[in-house]
Amino acid sequence: MRAIWFVAGAAFKESVRDRVPYTMVVFAVMMIAASYLISELTAGQDLKIIKDLGLAAMSIFGLVIAVFIGIGLVSKEVERKSVFALLTKPITRPQFILGKYLGLLVTLVVNLSVMTVAYYLVLFYMETTATATMRASWAAPALDPRQLIAIVLIMGELALVTAVALLFSTFSSPLLAALLTLGLWVAGHFNHDLRQFEQVVDSRAVAALARGLYYLLPNLAPFNVRAEVVYGIPVAASHVGLTLLYAAAYVAALLVAAIAIFRRRDFK
Amino acid sequence: MLAAIAALLTVSIGVQVVRDRGWQPYQPQTALLWFQSGPLLKRVSLGFQNLMADTYWIRAVVYYGGIRRSVEKNRDFGLLDPLLTFVTTLDPHFKVAYRFGAIFLTEAYPNGPGRPDRAIALLQRGLEASPATWEYSHDIGFVYYWWLHDYKAAARWFERSAQLPGAPVWLKPLAATTLATGGDRQSSRQLWRQLGDTDIDWLRRSAQHRLLQLDAMDVVDELNRLVQRFTSREGRPPREWRELIASERLRGLPLDATGQPYALDPLTGRIDVSPQSTLWPLPWPREGTGPATP
Amino acid sequence: MVLAIEAEGLTKDFAVGFWRPRPYRALDSLTLSVEAGEVFGFLGPNGAGKSTTLKLLMQLLYPTAGAARILGQPVGDTGVRQRIGFLAENPYYYDYLTAEELLAYFARLFGYRGADITTRVSRVLDEVGIGKERRLRLRRFSKGMIQRVGLAQALLNDPEVVFLDEPMSGLDPLGRRHVRDLILGLRQRGCTVFFSSHILSDAEALCSRVGVLVQGRLVSSGRLSEVLAFELKGWELVVAGVSDALRPELARLARSVTPFGDGHMLLHLAADAEPDRLLGELTRRGAHIVSLNPVRETLEDYFVQVVGATVARDERGVGA
Repeated sequence: MRAIWFVAGAAFKESVRDRVPYTMVVFAVMMIAASYLISELTAGQDLKIIKDLGLAAMSIFGLVIAVFIGIGLVSKEVERKSVFALLTKPITRPQFILGKYLGLLVTLVVNLSVMTVAYYLVLFYMETTATATMRASWAAPALDPRQLIAIVLIMGELALVTAVALLFSTFSSPLLAALLTLGLWVAGHFNHDLRQFEQVVDSRAVAALARGLYYLLPNLAPFNVRAEVVYGIPVAASHVGLTLLYAAAYVAALLVAAIAIFRRRDFK
Repeated sequence: MLAAIAALLTVSIGVQVVRDRGWQPYQPQTALLWFQSGPLLKRVSLGFQNLMADTYWIRAVVYYGGIRRSVEKNRDFGLLDPLLTFVTTLDPHFKVAYRFGAIFLTEAYPNGPGRPDRAIALLQRGLEASPATWEYSHDIGFVYYWWLHDYKAAARWFERSAQLPGAPVWLKPLAATTLATGGDRQSSRQLWRQLGDTDIDWLRRSAQHRLLQLDAMDVVDELNRLVQRFTSREGRPPREWRELIASERLRGLPLDATGQPYALDPLTGRIDVSPQSTLWPLPWPREGTGPATP
Repeated sequence: MVLAIEAEGLTKDFAVGFWRPRPYRALDSLTLSVEAGEVFGFLGPNGAGKSTTLKLLMQLLYPTAGAARILGQPVGDTGVRQRIGFLAENPYYYDYLTAEELLAYFARLFGYRGADITTRVSRVLDEVGIGKERRLRLRRFSKGMIQRVGLAQALLNDPEVVFLDEPMSGLDPLGRRHVRDLILGLRQRGCTVFFSSHILSDAEALCSRVGVLVQGRLVSSGRLSEVLAFELKGWELVVAGVSDALRPELARLARSVTPFGDGHMLLHLAADAEPDRLLGELTRRGAHIVSLNPVRETLEDYFVQVVGATVARDERGVGA
């Protein structure tokens, strides 16, 4: 167990010294620039757009980190052979995989937390500079704490995507793993359509296939409650709980698969 | 090194300036939308439909504002309605897009496409998405009231809006007066004051403009009553201001809020704001459809 | 007594070709044992299967057939890894960690705590000759410096058995010397060293025993002198100031005569040329001796010879 934490710590240190901090800087600069530009451009009511932009950016930046750094953490080690030194230490391959996953998860949590702080700072600025009429036209308060629900679910989605990236990186090249992960992410957002597809096709076999894929592929649409929190529409606690539980179960399945593959792998 | 980079960047900017003088990117004769279907766009946006809606909303605002500012003779607002449909399909709760979109759509040519029917359709879609929003019903009532002069319909919508949570208290009496007297200027003032209470400059200016027009309409009505008195006394309408000023003991040439004298038609004697005034033309023809002053 | 390393019929096939994968035998039934305290040189040309063997011993590869044990335990046993060190060929570590951080990380994996980590890390860094650079991130390290870091991490846990894959590669002469001294030091401490190399002089200086691997087969093993009976192939003689009269005679005595600048001449003599007599004769007749060197068979010659024999045997095998 301790070995997992040591690997996680090293992975975290490496990703933090890699390009991850830049994303946070880019995020902060983008938020500030956007809040300024958008208030100039649109007919008032820029709060909603700032919120949309901020939450979408957290999601996209997180995705980029999860995919590219996530894949790098394992397949780069294999490709550059640094894994040789590590795996000949008293550590098992499952510990290595779990440690890498945990390290990236910590990276993402820290990254998302910093972005959340920057996000709320911009909102705080808007809150203090808003006039009473502007405030009256807002669908939800600027500093609405319920926005954290959306951020927690973004984290849940990223945890799942990271596990997908990790699984692919245990057996394919970094580029292929990145493409596969992004492909699965897209599929995960189209997944909801498979349900409808099932109702329009006549062939029972095709319907069964669509249903099977619906349950098998990661379903990422439920993780997106950004629109709801921006409009202050309540998100059911059961939805959040079940979605996070789904993420946990799916992540566990992916990690077990990653371990199973990595365990028997030859390093040429 | 830095100096070299700066110098080369300056060169590239200079070249760009020169190029832009002689070159314009290809623009199709009629502006096009990339996506013809909102639902398709929603699917392609992969969970980022709100951001997409914001982008299209900014496009719609820039499009509308750009045409309003352009000096072209033939203004075409053709894309405004589809753009707004996109925005609201992508984000059905985008309140500002419905409300301001409706204002853009109703503005009469040349300041807008003058399509109150499309504005009502847009607002009704907003109402479908969030039936509890009193503003949409209120705005539909306003379109009927101000642009279509259908006071029965306007009163019905104001009434409906007044029932919804969060509706302001003045909506109920407004509905009543609209039904009783048609579009009286007092109600109009109230509505425009309400709209003008905003941080958006052009909308505030527009509301102020409407309020000045409403004042001018009161003055014009008052002056026309004097003209009528003059006509019945003299057996003919006044031919010029001098006659009217002398016989009605006015304190001089009456000026409107912009400082322009009101115009007197030498043939009919009717008084209106001067075509030179920015208040011209007044919102609706005074004959026939114009609301009676109480 | 427990053997440090044993391999029994260790075999590894790789699949080559994407569309129709065919097995390619990288290592063919290697049976080998190394006793505790030995320095074992694993020699062979590039591509002979040395790295494959080391990876099988480290369980970075899984064998197609056969088995191996280290210190009496099956390879891959986590407990055994506590007692061994490994340096990969052309190692690479994390760009973004400093040498100190990398070693501290590995030390933690070995289960060391607190001050023990710091003392161990600075001790092994001193041993491999990394000074102030230990605080730099590894991306700024040269190949030779990385090699030293690799040695340091292999020695971190005072291992009982050390596996070194081409430890001298990428090092300058001074560095090679340093590594040789390190290995001799380990030998004195009673540590078993298993290292691979394709350079004979390394083996000559260090090994108590060698194994020679050619094309995946262990062709011989034993003491270096037994395995490689390096015979004298001839002599290389350089002379100056040779008179014209002497030239035809030299041509008769030597296998070849190659004149080069300043009237110097390079002569290749047969192994039985009795150089003492020749030297006396030459000095007497006014020539000046510059140098005389014996020419022995090299490891490379040996490889070429063995490879040739192996290939020939294979061909006969196919023909039969």
